[in-house]
Order: sequence, then C-alpha cells, then structure tokens
Amino acid sequence: MKLNFKHIPKYWLFQLLGWGFFIAINTFFAATFNQIDNLYIGRLTTFVGVGFLMSHIMRLLIKKVSLLSRPLNTQIFGFILISLVIAIIVGATETYLTILFGLEYKEEIKLGISQQIIGNSFYSFIYLFIWNCIYFIFHYVSESRKQQVDTLKLETLVKSLELKTIKAHINPHFIFNAMNSIRALIDENPERARHAITALSNILRSSMLTDQQETISLEKEMKIVQDYLALEQIRFEDRLSVIYDIDDETLDNPVPPMMLQMLVENAIKHGISKSVNGGEIKISSSESEGLFQLVVQNTGNLDKKINHEGFGLQSTENRLSLLFGTAAKFSISEKENSIVEARVIIPLN
Amino acid sequence: MKKTALIIDDERLARNELKKLLQDFPEIEIIGEAMNAGEAKTLISELRPDLIFLDIQMPEKTGFELLEELDRVPFVIFTTAHDEFALKAFEVNAMDYLLKPIDPQRLTDAIQKLSLVDEKETVGIDGKNELRTSLSESDQVFVKDGEKCWFVKLAEIRLFESVGNYARVFFGQNRPLILKSLNSLEERLDQKIFFRANRKHIVNLRMIEKVEPFFNGGLLLEIKGGEKIEVSRRQAVRFKEMMSL
Repeated sequence: MKLNFKHIPKYWLFQLLGWGFFIAINTFFAATFNQIDNLYIGRLTTFVGVGFLMSHIMRLLIKKVSLLSRPLNTQIFGFILISLVIAIIVGATETYLTILFGLEYKEEIKLGISQQIIGNSFYSFIYLFIWNCIYFIFHYVSESRKQQVDTLKLETLVKSLELKTIKAHINPHFIFNAMNSIRALIDENPERARHAITALSNILRSSMLTDQQETISLEKEMKIVQDYLALEQIRFEDRLSVIYDIDDETLDNPVPPMMLQMLVENAIKHGISKSVNGGEIKISSSESEGLFQLVVQNTGNLDKKINHEGFGLQSTENRLSLLFGTAAKFSISEKENSIVEARVIIPLN
Repeated sequence: MKKTALIIDDERLARNELKKLLQDFPEIEIIGEAMNAGEAKTLISELRPDLIFLDIQMPEKTGFELLEELDRVPFVIFTTAHDEFALKAFEVNAMDYLLKPIDPQRLTDAIQKLSLVDEKETVGIDGKNELRTSLSESDQVFVKDGEKCWFVKLAEIRLFESVGNYARVFFGQNRPLILKSLNSLEERLDQKIFFRANRKHIVNLRMIEKVEPFFNGGLLLEIKGGEKIEVSRRQAVRFKEMMSL
C-alpha cells in the first residue's frame, strides 16, 4: 500500500516526523548504552505521549492568540513564554505519571518531587523550544515566500496599468483644435471638412480600441499617424510639411500602440507649433542587422529641460523595455541644421 | 457704442471661424488680425483696439507674454482649445475666456458682459480715441507674478517701488513684481496723477492720505495702504507746486 504524503496536512507530517525523530534518537543512544528495558520503554511512551499531546495544545494556543500575525519582537517573546508555561505543565504531568506508574529511576526517587518537576520541566523546555523554533521558522519562510509572490503579482499589475494609462493618452488640445478647424472648413471647403471628420473619427476609435492590445502592426499605427498629420495640416496649413520614408518590409513589425503617434505629436508641439514659419516632419522606418528602427525628425531645437519634465519621453522608454526587453532603445537628440530626432530601436524577435 | 476689436490667433481657420461668429454682433467692428505676438504688438499700438480676442498658445510668444509686453492693455477675451486651467490664475471677473470651438451663446454672454463693464467704466472719462502718449487712469495694465495674473486699472495702483531692474506694484492686497524700470514707468505714466517722490518710489497722488514735514525740507507721505514714503527735498518743492494749484 502506498502512502500519499501530500494528503497529510503539513502540520501532522512535521509533528509525526519530529516525535518520530525524538524516539529514534533516544532509542539509538539507549541501544548504544544497552539500556533498553521495560522501564525505558514506559518512560519514553509517557514522555512522547505527553509531549505530543501538549505540543498540539500549544499549537492551538498559538493559533488562539494569533501570535504569528503580531510584531516580530512580540512573537519571539510569546514563543519563549508559551514554551516555558507548557514546559512546566509537561514537567509536572510527566513527574506525576512516572510516580503513578512507578517509572522513576533510582536516582530520581532520592530527589524530592519539586526537584523532579524542575528537572523534567527543564528538559521539556528544551524540546518544546526547539519545536517552537521549527514552527516559527516554517511559518516565517512560507510567509516571506508568499510575500514575494504577492510583490511579483503587484508588480505585474502595476506594469499593465502603466501600459494602459500611456495608451489612453490622447491630447484634448488636439481634439478641440481639430474640431474648431473643421467647423471653419464646413463653409470654406466642405469636401475637406468631410475627410477631416473621417480622420478624426479614426483617431478616436483607434485610441479607444488599442486599450486592449499591447502591440499593433506598424501599418495600423501609420494609419493613425497619417490621419493625425492630415488634421494637423488642416490646422497649420502651409506651415507644416510632412515626408514619409517607410520601408514596406517593416509594415508588419509590432509596435506599442500610439507610441509613434505620441512622438509625432511631440514633434508638432515642440517643433512646428513653436515656430512662426512652421517646419517639416519626416517619419522613416528601416530594418538592418536584426534591428528595426523608427525615426521621427522635425525642424526646431531641443529644449534642454525636456529630459526632466517629459512624461511622454520617460514613459516611451519604460514601455519599450516592458514590451521588448532592455535591447529596445529610445533616444532623442538635436542634429545639425536645427533638426530634432527621436529614434526608436526595437530588436526583431 | 461700437467697439473696435483685433483677433489674434496663429491659425487662419480659427480666425475665420471667429470672424464668422462675430458677424452677428454689429457692435463689434473687427479692425485687424494678427497671427503671432509680434504682429499683434504692432497692430495694437497702431490701431488701439478696445478689445482683443487672444489665443494663448501661439508660436514664439504666448498670449500671456504678449500682454506682459504691452504698456496699455485693451479689454481681453481669451480664446483657447484647452487651456482653461491657465486662466484659473486670474481673479474672478477680471477677464473672460471662450473655449474653441466657440459656443455662440458663450460669445453673446462675453460681449454682453463687456458692454456692461464699459458703461460703468467710461462714464466721465474722455478722450478714448484721442491719441495719447501717456497712460491715463482708466487704462489697464497686465501684471503677472509667478502663477498669478491681474488686469489692473492704473487708478487702483497706489505705489510703484523700484527693486533692482524690477518694479513692485502695490494695489489692493497685492504687491507683485513687473520687469520694468521705474524710469521707464515714469515716462509712460500721467504726471498729473503719478508723482516721482524719490529715487525708489512713484506714488499715486489720489491715494495720499496724509502729508507731514520731514527732515531737511523733505516730506513724508502716508498712502492709503499704510505705506509711508519719503519725498526728497528737490521733489518736495515740485510736490508743493503741484498741490497748491
């Protein structure tokens, strides 16, 4: 017959193994010194019986006062106190039983009852204290392991929440300015106004739908960017010119949703809208040596303060490393001829 | 009374939209348009509009920065897509703002409010269209100190104090700093109302509560807010001349 230990609660397993070990050790030494006789067996049975029963009562007591959920200092003090109290009870009970069943050693009889009790209590205290140490360490370890798991769970939750808030980020300033331009266009150029409404709807829809996805294809992201830039061109008119240089090979590559869109939005906000004469935005993508590169360039100058205040830039870096690991890179720099370049590098596979 | 207005916005379509909306208000006459702060500054000094419709986000200089550079600030209605938080810096009723796309009803309210303010303020003040180089009491200035902003009528200012390159402006409970030297202020202010008491102070003569003799032939002025300002001997002579008239 095969015993399945997994069905025995851990406590009983430990309890049986512990006292079993106690019996084994004692018997081993008794056998070594040739002391196994009826007296020895009787005493061992009494000791183990009382010890087993009282340690179980001790556990009930620990649970009753919920000692394990108290501060560490209280726990240590509590365990020592409980060991002491139970040890005295055990010592007294054992002394009583050994006298009752006539199991005393000759040397013991010479001592008084109180000294017997003290002696037995002292030995019991050592066993019970070891019992409590094992009990405490077992719970301490399993508790800290549980905490580690909880921390990990929390971290994943925070990560996914972070991703969600970044994705939901679409600038209301842009929406209302676009609406305002469209309203003016209705009279001036109704056909263009109709296209603009379609583009705005596309942007709003994708910003809502992408909430569930961690990545989308560059092709889909480019559609949003194109719609976005079409709207900004209505607003800025000849102040904004756009150049696309997208490698067809890269269109299926996964990118974080709304990330390119956000970089383009920043290029408009910090580059084009700051200049009276406007400027140019260039978006390019390429693949080489297992790396996928996305570059957004705009005319203008890099604001030195941007590294500290740019929530968008910081979150771009975080997003990339969350999704593609640390090999994914993000950088922003000012090139010659007043061109600001934002560069994203994502490893392929 | 017809009012002249200037529209300041960097987007052509936004300007067009506002012009179209303003067609329903014959009391507002649009005399010009500017697409950035530089253009606006020139047009304001040339055309002297009663009112400006001002966008906050513009290239190179924001609407606020434009206002800070103006000696005399017309009545301002801000137009913005999403910057209403920036306008929280203003004291209530100091100005009005419209959110783009502009709700025609809100525009009506703003213009009505404007004509109410105007009826109260312009009584007894002449020469609105006369070309003046100095600022009169009814002119307002724009004052920005950190996060807080005010439109202040010169009549409400009791004292200017020189603090290095800045001037501290005393009005009501406030005393913000503006980036203007006392000398340049003296040149622009109406000499009949604002008096240079000493190297460090210009006082509003209508705000003086008490005049006492001071050492060395000087005078000590006590102003409504409780500030005490010394008048140098040389200026004391001028002060007596002015007040005796």
